[in-house]
Amino acid sequence: MSRATRALRPAVTPILAIVTAFIVGSIFILITDFNNLSKLGTDPAAAIGGALGLIGQAYYAMVTGALGDPDKVGTAITSPTARSVATAIRPLTETLVAASPLIFCGLAVAISFRSGVFNIGVEGQYVLGAFGATVVAILLKDTVPAAVILVAATIGGVLTGALWGFIPGFLKAKAGAHEVITTIMLNYVAAQVVLFGLRSDFLRKAGSSEPISKVLDFVRVPVLIPLPALRLHWGFVLALAMAVVVSWFLFKTTKGFELRASGFNMHAARYAGMSATGSIILAMTLSGGLAALGGSMAVLGDVTQMSNDISTGVGFTAIALALLAGNRPLGIVVASLLFGALSNGGHLMGIKTGIPADLIIFIEALVIMFVAAPGLIRWLYRFDATRMPKRFDDNAAAKEGSAA
Amino acid sequence: MTAASPTFEEVRPELSAAERAAIRSARIRGVVMAALGLFALQFAIQTMDVAATFSFWVDKQGGNTFTIATQVGVLWLLAGVVTGVAGVIQLVRGPSFQWRRALLIVIPFWVAATFAGLLAGKPANVTIVFAGTLTYAAPISLGAFAGILAERSGINNIAIEGKFLMGACAASVVASVTMLALGPAANPTIGVLAGVLAAAVTGILVSLLLAWLGIRWRVDQIIAGIVINIGAVGITNFLFLRILTKQTELNTPPTVENIQVPVLSQIPILGPIAFQGSPYLYFAVIVMAAFAYMLFRTRWGLRLRASGEKPSAAGTVGIDVIKIRYRAMIVAGILAGIAGSSFSLASAGSFQMQMSAGRGFIALAAVIFGAWNPIYAFGAAMVFGFADASQALLSVLGVDVPPQLLNSIPYLVTIIVVAGVVGRVRGPAAAGQPYDQG
Repeated sequence: MSRATRALRPAVTPILAIVTAFIVGSIFILITDFNNLSKLGTDPAAAIGGALGLIGQAYYAMVTGALGDPDKVGTAITSPTARSVATAIRPLTETLVAASPLIFCGLAVAISFRSGVFNIGVEGQYVLGAFGATVVAILLKDTVPAAVILVAATIGGVLTGALWGFIPGFLKAKAGAHEVITTIMLNYVAAQVVLFGLRSDFLRKAGSSEPISKVLDFVRVPVLIPLPALRLHWGFVLALAMAVVVSWFLFKTTKGFELRASGFNMHAARYAGMSATGSIILAMTLSGGLAALGGSMAVLGDVTQMSNDISTGVGFTAIALALLAGNRPLGIVVASLLFGALSNGGHLMGIKTGIPADLIIFIEALVIMFVAAPGLIRWLYRFDATRMPKRFDDNAAAKEGSAA
Repeated sequence: MTAASPTFEEVRPELSAAERAAIRSARIRGVVMAALGLFALQFAIQTMDVAATFSFWVDKQGGNTFTIATQVGVLWLLAGVVTGVAGVIQLVRGPSFQWRRALLIVIPFWVAATFAGLLAGKPANVTIVFAGTLTYAAPISLGAFAGILAERSGINNIAIEGKFLMGACAASVVASVTMLALGPAANPTIGVLAGVLAAAVTGILVSLLLAWLGIRWRVDQIIAGIVINIGAVGITNFLFLRILTKQTELNTPPTVENIQVPVLSQIPILGPIAFQGSPYLYFAVIVMAAFAYMLFRTRWGLRLRASGEKPSAAGTVGIDVIKIRYRAMIVAGILAGIAGSSFSLASAGSFQMQMSAGRGFIALAAVIFGAWNPIYAFGAAMVFGFADASQALLSVLGVDVPPQLLNSIPYLVTIIVVAGVVGRVRGPAAAGQPYDQG
């Protein structure tokens, strides 16, 4: 076996999972395509051709929406103006914008899973992080320079989310309250806190009847590429940096080792003199803080306005992609880019073909399902399980470690 | 906290550390209750001149009314006296006092007084609140029964929300299509029944997917539940936007009408509250009674609970744990699917995107608050339903209570319960663990 094929082996399940999910997605496009279905009786060839054409158009629009339109890239190369270049690379930068919160939240999930706690509350921690950052930013408006507001708001957001992670961690460590239950409940409480906060005139946009905050136009995470209409900002770089930091923390520091040890076997870790309760609280607090950093970057960088829709299920998608990546930081970055591309490309698919972008949510769920059940993929494609290397089951091993 | 069992040396005529701690916490409870009683009396003095007017419908909704006119202060006085008496009894009786039962009596007085205080003199119709409580409680309790059934058999079921959503969608579409096929002259009940049946079948399929992923492919059941919840949102949003917004005739189901329970609906005051309601309510009550009996009094129930507590022991005595879990999930799917159909057939009159709005998780909260017991879970569902119903009334009357506070109650109560602040509850020991049949 060559080195290249050996390196690719662990990617077999995720790739097959994604392919299978898209096939199922196509089936749903087909059976809801009433225009072509109704022609099936009279003109089957045209009907089948039209249906397959629609699927092709949809997925092509998704790819161009996520990566860039070849025509526009061509224009940018032949006549490079600021505008044409921006138009050409905008889809790609928007994919990175969509991927950034997923990276933060995916890392947050990975820290908790590696430490043996199931943080389902990333969603709420992300939302409250964005909320905390908004409150601090509006509080400091017109008092200090924008750079100071940016730093203070980010810290405020992170602390809010860390607190929202600390609560279930503390309850788990001290009272044995199951963190899956408490974090699910805290997600809903977080949404209520945000709605409650946005009732006040202090936060709410003047004259708005909707619960949305004032526009944070006085503070902004600096953009990466100074071209018009590009929203990509340093939050993405910070996300990549956090992947490195989390990787270093988990695998190269004593504390990180203790977290993983108590995640792997809490009793053994305790016997070795580590504080299991301390690990749980630390893991949940760090996890909440990381998710909140993602929320802060989103609201201070690209969304610019707090509302209850700030997270479109980012926290739940993050659980999925952390699983997809086997809770490995590098893998989370790759998976986040993939999911970012899917959700960003889904928008263009919706506009071009009228197929709702929500199909992407369904496809994402299928991807997680197939990745979480590697045996199902092997069974579907009938390939020899015994020939798969041991690493194939990393996901399952990490999961069992965290569930114990 | 659980007390350490005394070692041989510690067993003496004197009190053990655990007993001393129990006496101390009983004293603290008594003093706190008495103090709260005085607190309520203080409120009473301040609010003696504020009117509290509660009216009930006697014969039917919108019919004759029966009115109780009193003062907010009187309600606070009652709350204070009851709380004070409970505190005194607690101090006298010590640790043997059943203080949780006393709380069940005390809390309604506080709720009534607070409610009247918030209304600040505005008259309120209580029948709407109580009837609304039961209406809201029906789907939540059915979802909770689905959760109890699954978890008692050893499967973690956090996918109730997804089943609600899929059930609501399937019910609306199938009921609409049935009515289209039968023509305008057809009896709408047939359409409703077709919709409910479709919701039940959908619930079974979703439930079986969860069980299949968990049992056959050993996917962590929390992950499988999350997958199903996300997937349900994705697929129902997709279908709604792609088909139902254009072909609206596919999303105009006949609505479920309230039914009059024979004889009982004629009882004054009580009839309009409890016996002229939604069929879902009566279905939930029947299921509750049957389920409470079957779970704790039949061989089936014993085997189900054994599968969830100690599957290896159950397997040793010849119980087919896997079969029991699959069957439990099928029934759970039926219940959750039917509960889902109530959203589109009874409440809204059509399917809307994400219309279950987190009620599946409130059902999960009711499972825990109800200590995995169908009767208690129904009580929990009523508590959560009351929060919904009173919020609806307060906002109609223009009382400025942040709805977010009332909305948070189910979630906060659940956190308090799982944290063991008001007595620890414990779920089935083996819920969520895969089982290998030898």
